[in-house]
Amino acid sequence: MVGHGGPVAEMITTHDLGKTYGGRAVVEGLDLRVPKGCVYGFLGPNGSGKSTTMKMLLSLVRPTTGEIRIMGRPMRRSTRRELLGHIGSLIESPPAYGHLTGRENMRLVQRLLELNDDQVVRAVHTVRLHDHLDKRVRDYSLGMKQRLGIAMALAREPRLLILDEPTNGLDPAGIDEIRRLLKQLADGGITVMVSSHLLDEIDRTATVLGILGNGRMLFQGTRDQLLARSTPDVLIDTPEPQRAAALTAQWHPTRVDGEAVRLSGLDHKGTAGVVSRLVRDGIDIYGVRRDAQSLEDVFMDLTGGRGL
Amino acid sequence: MIGRAVANEFAKMRRLRVVPVVVAMVAGVVALSCFAFTTPGFLDSVGDPSGQPWQWLLGSMSLAVPLTSPILLAVLASRQVDIEHQANGWLFSQTSGLPPGYVCRVKFVATGAVVVAATLAQSGLVFALGTLVGITVAFPAGQWLGYTASIVVVNLVLFALHLLLSARIGNQLVGLGVGVLGVFVALTSTGMPTWLARCFPPWGYYALAMPVDAREGGMVWLAPAHLSVLALGVAGGVLFMLITRLFDRQEA
Ligand SMILES: Nc1ncnc2c1ncn2[C@@H]1O[C@H](COP(=O)(O)OP(=O)(O)OP(=O)(O)O)[C@@H](O)[C@H]1O
Ligand SMILES: [Mg+2]
Repeated sequence: MVGHGGPVAEMITTHDLGKTYGGRAVVEGLDLRVPKGCVYGFLGPNGSGKSTTMKMLLSLVRPTTGEIRIMGRPMRRSTRRELLGHIGSLIESPPAYGHLTGRENMRLVQRLLELNDDQVVRAVHTVRLHDHLDKRVRDYSLGMKQRLGIAMALAREPRLLILDEPTNGLDPAGIDEIRRLLKQLADGGITVMVSSHLLDEIDRTATVLGILGNGRMLFQGTRDQLLARSTPDVLIDTPEPQRAAALTAQWHPTRVDGEAVRLSGLDHKGTAGVVSRLVRDGIDIYGVRRDAQSLEDVFMDLTGGRGL
Repeated sequence: MIGRAVANEFAKMRRLRVVPVVVAMVAGVVALSCFAFTTPGFLDSVGDPSGQPWQWLLGSMSLAVPLTSPILLAVLASRQVDIEHQANGWLFSQTSGLPPGYVCRVKFVATGAVVVAATLAQSGLVFALGTLVGITVAFPAGQWLGYTASIVVVNLVLFALHLLLSARIGNQLVGLGVGVLGVFVALTSTGMPTWLARCFPPWGYYALAMPVDAREGGMVWLAPAHLSVLALGVAGGVLFMLITRLFDRQEA
């Protein structure tokens, strides 16, 4: 929470943020909490409102409802000029003039924001583009364009970096490169908010996740909290699955799964209870285990409407 | 801020073929004006006031300008704006503190300066050419400069119009199509009565600026509608400011 007078622990907070286009709510009731110094993975399927939210954070789009605070200060049209000086961003597609070289593009940024040569050199080195600066951007690969876009956002030495799908269209090596870059930036103290429609792309880099579905926040928290939120099924291996299932079905949703009984929604205590009941009823148990559940499954559950 | 932004616009012009377009604009007018030299007896009467050599030259220039300017200004404006569409440049500028309308105004200042320079070069080179072929008759400075000032204004208004058009409509063929149509309107206006030409701003105003016309028996001085051109400039300026302010308030 934003303290009264005390240091602010959040880089971004929003309260009831919403945007309506032509009577259709595209983003609704969003309460973002982006802690300082984290990599915040902003996830959601296509059209869920990620770009719209990021544009509102940058004051490029006027929110229909709610308010935004960045570094504890309200972000509005009247204050955006000052705040934008601390925010680097990359929205939708990387900016950069194709007919100019990487160096010439960087010089545009440098002149506009009155940056010194060191800042530009550092930004370019961070994204490891220093060997390609004299090539025209038109001849860059997509990954190089993304990296140049990040360098253009980084040159102002922002405290907050807002990146909209920086891994979109990249090959696995390119994705990995961006992932490592984000980690490195966060280690350097920059707060990074990065969006993606694929959990896999930012799962390992993000320390906090926000999951958006149809413009609403479905989940916000750490990776572990997300995993804990949905309990994977318990599988009990037994030679008498039918008899065991008939018994456990009285207390828990149960399914026979081959040589095992599958129970959903069981916590540790519940599992212990079921096992002791089965043993008391003389059913042999060869093994008890939790089904492997990937973060991807949880994500699909949340966004695909299966879980919620 | 504005100075740095204008400097950036000039930097963006690199490799945009601005120079060839401007050269075409200047060379086109100069070359077409040379048609005056092919008038029978022109080169024999360079020292004879009754041969009206300057009038002939100014007359051909005032046809060459509407023949070339509308399309080349459309090309120039479209090149400047299309790079922003291609590069996601509007968003980038906005996150650096330059809203879209501001970018349009900056482009108007930067490329507008190029347009003014090209227009002055057209007029200056045609004059130089006249001197070069040996016209010794007194130079009609007032009419010449009045015409030059008028086409500077009309060119700027037309350029501003095309900037807005290209910025608003992503498909650059629309702007170029309007440019081609503009050539047609500008040329036909030269044959229209003044009141009718006034109905086609800004293209018709090339005709309003015309200082001479060929009548039977030679060239006659006209009374160019400088006030109308001035009014066009003021109205164009006000509209450009208003519309770009609207662009500023627009959402990304
Ligand atoms: N200017 C606009 N006018 C009307 N509707 C809009 C506008 N901008 C976005 N939308 C709608 O808002 C919804 C969310 O769009 P948004 O671009 O924020 O989604 P996203 O999560 O970024 O999707 P993606 O993964 O495809 O980039 C979409 O249905 C889109 O059609
Ligand atoms: Mg998007």
